[in-house]
Amino acid sequence: MPSWKEDIIRILKAFKNRRQKDLRKENDRLVKQAVLAFSVVDYEAALLSYVLAKIVSKPRFFRAEHITAIKEIEHQLVKLVRLPESAGEEDLKHYFVNIKKAIEQLEKKDPRFLTGLLNKGRLKIAATMYAQGISLGRASEMTDVNKQDILDYSGKTMMFDRLKEEKTIHERLKNARRLVA
Amino acid sequence: MKDVLCDSSSLISLGDSCLDGLLYFLHEKYQIRFIIPPEVENELITRPISGGLKQYYFSALKMKRAMRDSVIVKTPAQTGSHTQEILNAANHMFFIKGKPLALLHPGEAGMLALAQELDISQVLIDERTTRMLIEAPFLLKKHLEEEFGVTTMVNKKNFETLNQQIRNMQVIRSSELLILGYEQGFLQHFPEPREALEAALYKVKFSGCSIGFNEISEFLQSG
Repeated sequence: MPSWKEDIIRILKAFKNRRQKDLRKENDRLVKQAVLAFSVVDYEAALLSYVLAKIVSKPRFFRAEHITAIKEIEHQLVKLVRLPESAGEEDLKHYFVNIKKAIEQLEKKDPRFLTGLLNKGRLKIAATMYAQGISLGRASEMTDVNKQDILDYSGKTMMFDRLKEEKTIHERLKNARRLVA
Repeated sequence: MKDVLCDSSSLISLGDSCLDGLLYFLHEKYQIRFIIPPEVENELITRPISGGLKQYYFSALKMKRAMRDSVIVKTPAQTGSHTQEILNAANHMFFIKGKPLALLHPGEAGMLALAQELDISQVLIDERTTRMLIEAPFLLKKHLEEEFGVTTMVNKKNFETLNQQIRNMQVIRSSELLILGYEQGFLQHFPEPREALEAALYKVKFSGCSIGFNEISEFLQSG
């Protein structure tokens, strides 16, 4: 498993090269990593890769008026990468907060949705975790996203169609009917 | 009185689908009480109202009214050590790459413990993972293996501990509760009750009830 530093270096490189596909790939890997060996750093790196992939996919963020904000995100990522490998979770958290502030600053200039990119990313990761097999409560706890939001999102995906149920709906109904028997 | 223990996911789906009336219908016609632990009240009512979650404010008010009318009843949970036992078994049952996979949240384990304490065998759950742990843990294992692309090991002792605690539980989803209501006349006021049922089943699915399109079709085609 790569170290947090290797993860962030990969994210920084993909962002600087505007490689959306690479960032998405990192996100897929990091979400799984976050589920299997949950640590705040894994989750924050997963969130970052998702949000940066979204930014790269939108040409409007690369217009002249946003250049300063984009540079600030890159600058904060570089600062994070420069931390020693041994840096503790608390130190890293501080740098993640700064990167998130820079992302919010970028969005602030051109707000289009009620839900910002960071919250969208949190929700997407929570729903992915739930789809992978973690319970709703656990996914909500790990990502700090409301259960309502996760259910609402999951209900509009195919996650409940990808898994064959053991019981048929008729068997389930037989059980439910006992309530009114 | 018949009691059904509800988790938050089922009440979220029903509230979001504006089907809270189904709870009233079954309560009035069959004296069914929908029991919730305090954490569910907190998630569904207290937090959206006091925390200013505008999106869920109306659902929270509807559930608050159902509590006032004793359709939904809060039970103080005293399940500390029992909850811990279930949580420990569930979260140390599957191992991936030598590490236990923490599947459940204490709130979910607490609900399973409460069902046992209150001797309630029917639980209303729309959430998929807890339901699968009860109904088909090996199917969940297979799913985890497919998702993570690695072999999942099962700790037999924890599997048996958990199985002993939950094997008698019967899970009902909001979709089955809805069909039950339909069979008892809940949708009678619609010109085409069957069509209303179909639409309502899709609505609960889109609101997060863990039911597949194929299951809905299977039921509808059965006539």
